[in-house]
Amino acid sequence: MKSVPKLIRHFANILLLSSVLVIALNILLSGIFLSRQKAGGQPWTMADETAKALKYTKNGYILPEKNTSQLEKYNVWAIYIDNSTMETAWHTDNLPETIPSSYTVSDIASLTRGYIDGYPAFTSGCKDGLVVLGFPKKSFWKHIYPCWDYDFIANLPKTILKWILANILLLLVIYITANIQLLKSVRPITNGIKELPEGAPVYIKEKGLFSELAININKTSEILQSQKYQLHKKETARANWIAGVSHDIRTPLSIVMGYAGQLKEDPGLSPLAHNKASVIVKQSRRIKNLVNDLNLASKLEYNMQPLNLARQNLVAIARQVVVDFINMDINDKYPVEWKTDEKLTTCIVNVDKELLKRAINNLIQNSINHNEEGCTIYVNVMAEGNICSVEVSDNGTGAKDSEIERLNNAPHYMVCDKNTTEQRHGLGLLIVKQIAAAHGGTINIGHSSSGGFMVKFTLPLPEGKPVL
Amino acid sequence: MDSGYLKNKRILIVDDEPEILNMVVSILDAEGFISIETAASVKDALNLAASFQPELAILDVMLPDGDGFFLMEQLRKTGGYPVLFLTACGEDKDKFKGFGIGADDYMVKPFLPKELVFRIMAILRRSYKDENPLVKLKDSEINFDCAEVVKNGVHIALTAKEYDILAALYRNAGRIVTIDSLCEAAWGENPFGYENSLMAHIRRIREKIELNPSRPVSLITVKGLGYKLVTLDSQ
Repeated sequence: MKSVPKLIRHFANILLLSSVLVIALNILLSGIFLSRQKAGGQPWTMADETAKALKYTKNGYILPEKNTSQLEKYNVWAIYIDNSTMETAWHTDNLPETIPSSYTVSDIASLTRGYIDGYPAFTSGCKDGLVVLGFPKKSFWKHIYPCWDYDFIANLPKTILKWILANILLLLVIYITANIQLLKSVRPITNGIKELPEGAPVYIKEKGLFSELAININKTSEILQSQKYQLHKKETARANWIAGVSHDIRTPLSIVMGYAGQLKEDPGLSPLAHNKASVIVKQSRRIKNLVNDLNLASKLEYNMQPLNLARQNLVAIARQVVVDFINMDINDKYPVEWKTDEKLTTCIVNVDKELLKRAINNLIQNSINHNEEGCTIYVNVMAEGNICSVEVSDNGTGAKDSEIERLNNAPHYMVCDKNTTEQRHGLGLLIVKQIAAAHGGTINIGHSSSGGFMVKFTLPLPEGKPVL
Repeated sequence: MDSGYLKNKRILIVDDEPEILNMVVSILDAEGFISIETAASVKDALNLAASFQPELAILDVMLPDGDGFFLMEQLRKTGGYPVLFLTACGEDKDKFKGFGIGADDYMVKPFLPKELVFRIMAILRRSYKDENPLVKLKDSEINFDCAEVVKNGVHIALTAKEYDILAALYRNAGRIVTIDSLCEAAWGENPFGYENSLMAHIRRIREKIELNPSRPVSLITVKGLGYKLVTLDSQ
């Protein structure tokens, strides 16, 4: 199913976008948080302020009240180490006793980096010495050891970008792997759903993530198969029933036709009795045609008539049907005229010969059935472009436009699924339509140029080959 | 009647429906056939055939103790006579089976008496034409045995193609035979494009059988469709 990769692409895009958004949000949040932190700058600032504020007077070093109170507020002590003596030249009142009063250079380096006796120390240089603030123990954690390679800091933006990309990549790999697994279990389901409308039986292994779906699809398939089987069974039964009835009618009808035919020819009978026998013969022939048609129509309708397709000469087939009619029509009441162009001797089509003979036969019979008083029937085989056609027309009574419209378009009552009260016609034309359809052809019903009825049976030429 | 000898042929009719048997017998009787026997089952038919020695068998397909195809194969073991199936089984597959095992014709019920008689005559003519070498036409006679025409006491030989064409016409004497069927008789299956050759042969046949070939009376052209051989018998 094409929609599955599409679906996955869609979700991958959503995932990518959301990852970018999450990272951006995190950067933003940490920016806000860090900016509020003052990054431990406060004690250093306080040391700077104190160093700036400390003034030398005649009475020694004095720290203004404002700074003193600030130091007191945080319980911070302060000393001033003189550059020349390396001794404490000034200190606040709260200086713990354990704090030494003289310092070496290494002491200064050490306290700058860390603590004096456990007190976190912060320094700030002034003109002649160094101010050292001692914050209460455990108030700060000093960490001034780290140092970074210069390139690292210079490439930091690139590094961060790479880091983000690596994160996204990892997420994608996880997502795709998970999806491939999902797809693997979805594929049989989607294939099954795709095959369902094709009518073939579907079975999907009922395990994995979607076992419940698989069970339902299997059930649906079973139901469809069973319905198909039932329908086929019903159609076969109906076609068999019609075949059986038409078979059983044949023997008694033979006896009726046989004796009536003999009576018709019996010279010992009166003209009136001859007429009666003729009527019986004619009517039994109608029943015979109907029985034959009914059987074939039902088989064609339910696709139970095998098509024996072979290369045939359409002209020869039509000619044979016409000749059979002429040979049978003893009274010459229905002369059949061959109107095919003499130059057209061969027109090769891929057809079932028997069915095609039947179609042309039905068309001629149709003209006979609808013209009690007799008529001339014209048969014309034509080939134009990549189609060929057999036109059967007559100079009989013909049909009204409305009737022709109905014959061309309305379904025959036998294949109509609605109740119909319309006058019922024979099956002759229905069969012609069915035979045309079975060969990929069409029929067109209309008026004949000779005033009567006309039916044109059109067939495609195999592979659009021109006529020989 | 030049085909009178055909009416003497022994005909065996097998059908399980007695009314059909009666009717077919009455049809053949009315047509002048004089030697007809009937049977209603495979067993009876085989027994009867052994003594009656039929020269044509008309068989139903569905019989109470077997089918007509089986019966035909059994009958053919004792004699090579022609067989016509006359049955209510109108399916193509039955028809193909019948022709497939070598039946001479296959008729589906119901049928008109004339049609049955015509088909029987066509089979008999085809099967026993050698016994009647002389087919009488208005102006001449055809001797199929010697493949020649006798006109005004003169013997004119027929070529192989002329013989084939005339034989096909004679089998359907009195009826139109299509151009295509005649081409098939002379040149085999799917004879496309032989129409002009056929016309040439027809012209030569007319020169042999007609007194005035340009105004034929025995070998008639039906324009666009085919030809018809009019024998004195078929008129």
